Amino acid sequence: QSSKPPLFICEPFVKIALVKGSYKTIVQQPKYVDYHEWLALNTFELFNHLNKFYGVIAEYVTPDRYPIMTADPKTEYVWLLPNNKAVSLPAGQYIDHALTWISNKINDQTIFPTKSGMAFPPSFLREIKGIYIQMFRIIAHIFHNHFEKFVHLSLEAHWNSYFAHFISFVTEFDLIAKNELEPLSMLIENLEAQGKIIPVGKDS
Amino acid sequence: RQQQPQSADYVYFDRHPEWFSKASQDKAASIKLKLEHYYKTAIEHAIERNQRRVSFEQKLGTESSGERRNRELQVFGRNESQFLRLRRTRLSLEDFHTVKVIGKGAFGEVRLVQKRDTGKIYAMKTLLKSEMYKKEQLAHVKAERDVLADANSPWVVSLYYSFQDPLYLYLIMEFLPGGDLMTMLIKWQIFTEDVTRFYIAECVLAIEAIHRLGFIHRDIKPDNILIDMRGHIKLSDFGLSTGFHKTHDSNYYKKLLDQDNASGVGGLNNGRNSVLVDPINLTMSNRQQMQTWRKSRRLMAYSTVGTPDYIAPEIFLNQGYGQTCDWWSLGAIMFECLVGWPPFCSETPKETYCKILNWRETLQFPEDIHLSPEAEDLILRLLTDSDHRLGRNGGALEIKAHPFFRGVVWDEIRNVEAPFIPKLRSITDTRFFPTDELENVPDSPALAQAAKERERMKGNVVGGADTKEDLPFIGYTFSRFEYLTRKNAL
Ligand SMILES: Nc1ncnc2c1ncn2[C@@H]1O[C@H](COP(=O)(O)OP(=O)(O)OP(=O)(O)O)[C@@H](O)[C@H]1O
Repeated sequence: QSSKPPLFICEPFVKIALVKGSYKTIVQQPKYVDYHEWLALNTFELFNHLNKFYGVIAEYVTPDRYPIMTADPKTEYVWLLPNNKAVSLPAGQYIDHALTWISNKINDQTIFPTKSGMAFPPSFLREIKGIYIQMFRIIAHIFHNHFEKFVHLSLEAHWNSYFAHFISFVTEFDLIAKNELEPLSMLIENLEAQGKIIPVGKDS
Repeated sequence: RQQQPQSADYVYFDRHPEWFSKASQDKAASIKLKLEHYYKTAIEHAIERNQRRVSFEQKLGTESSGERRNRELQVFGRNESQFLRLRRTRLSLEDFHTVKVIGKGAFGEVRLVQKRDTGKIYAMKTLLKSEMYKKEQLAHVKAERDVLADANSPWVVSLYYSFQDPLYLYLIMEFLPGGDLMTMLIKWQIFTEDVTRFYIAECVLAIEAIHRLGFIHRDIKPDNILIDMRGHIKLSDFGLSTGFHKTHDSNYYKKLLDQDNASGVGGLNNGRNSVLVDPINLTMSNRQQMQTWRKSRRLMAYSTVGTPDYIAPEIFLNQGYGQTCDWWSLGAIMFECLVGWPPFCSETPKETYCKILNWRETLQFPEDIHLSPEAEDLILRLLTDSDHRLGRNGGALEIKAHPFFRGVVWDEIRNVEAPFIPKLRSITDTRFFPTDELENVPDSPALAQAAKERERMKGNVVGGADTKEDLPFIGYTFSRFEYLTRKNAL
């Protein structure tokens, strides 16, 4: 069982993509454009898409089938309660918590201002780094547990491209620490080898 | 078929979408469309942004003062950043305050609205989604609208943003304060040849612009010719035009005709007691005709039926049509400008339809109205069958070369002073719109139904907008917002 590679790393699926060409074009901060505004818009969009992807399979992420929140079998994620106590939650519940938490941040005018004239808070970068870690965990959970469902629904090209875009963005702005990426490092390396994402420090 | 898979890990997978709920399958379809649209426009945005930057830097290159330079750079960056912020902003009905209803159609209305936070003025068109669903051509209609929204032509009204609720699609467009050509004609009755030349010449350029983009308007009429702040014209939002399909549907008129025949008047099997009476032709004087027609004109614009007055005969004949059908419409509008009513106007759309099909017999210039030979000639060359119509070979070029347009400086016409320049007291001045009248126009049955529906839905907040119903409109959720905001300053 353990010798069998996960489906998402197998051919043909690992090679399937919706988008061709370099993500650099759409990831790079445009000249003269405000850094925070650029991060905010992309975070907003990456989150909305992830939310939609998860929505497709949410009804199948039941507590009896996914009693704990994992990425690969050796990585379990725990939810931190407001009093800093870590609790183990069923995957579905963990993801609901995480999505709601992110959504609240993104709709918080003091963190993601939308009215004209309102400024971003000094804590903005820290806030979105927290958001990216949670988003990555949901992505890792989906790859390791639900990729097959996406293939049944012919979503793999879209999902792969979404992921390549996500990683390209996170790398460009250094938003997630390398050790967090571990559960999908194999896939990331594979995509790098295919030239679909550009590894850190190797860009023009 | 002996080809070996390249990798040992090659997996053959048997897909079973049917193992998933209908809701999941629909959501999968929805995110697919969304993502495809997203990546397509992401690239477009990047390219456009780049173009804006390059042309800005070029312009700045000639600026020597360092301080001015820095200030300009800051303004440019702020505009670009604001543009990004707008895309995070989910606009909804609550973000706009209605100043007045300025137009009405069968499936929606047009309002002058003010965005609450910025105070900027826009025209908001509402369209009943249920009515659009019946239109089989929605996909192509949407594609057309997208291209036009991006075309950024001075001859087409800009579309900035759109959003929807369960009942309506809302389009936020630039507001043209001068009203439309229909209202202007109602007010002035007829134009001089000089004034006519100006509007018709501008229409030629507008139609040419649309044709260049590869489109046929098919529904050019005075109601769709809007007047901007400086008195120049722009063609109103089209493609989404809801009234269009009915007025252009030959089957619709056939049915009307059949109904008449079925009711037996003058039918063949009327029984032997029936007497064949020659229909009495009650001809009205020109003045009377004009008066009656004027009265019903605006009501026609509000009704579901719409007016077929400007539609080319080949469209009714279902034998296919080309760009030249727009030149026919232009001929009909030109006739109206000079004569006071459109060439085939009648009491009912059905009669108009018949007259258009029999244009060879029915097209007549009234004796008491004098037209110059050039004007008459141009009208006759436009209101003719498509094989002989001016513009069939050389397009707009052919029309521009007609003697009626002698003296027109085509490249400059948008910059010259227009014959009527709307004098406005404020940015929310609606004096060029029949706002009082509109208050008394009853809703069409479809709209009345929708209003009831809305009452019913009030209270229960409608969540998850990602239903199947939203699919055809996905491309509309964001369109280019005018990031250069100067246009709205008055
Ligand atoms: N952008 C605008 N600015 C000012 N007035 C407008 C604008 N768009 C429309 N109007 C006014 O509203 C009237 C109705 O608009 P329009 O013809 O677009 O809608 P409709 O009749 O509901 O639908 P359609 O013609 O697409 O079937 C126009 O004749 C014009 O007077």
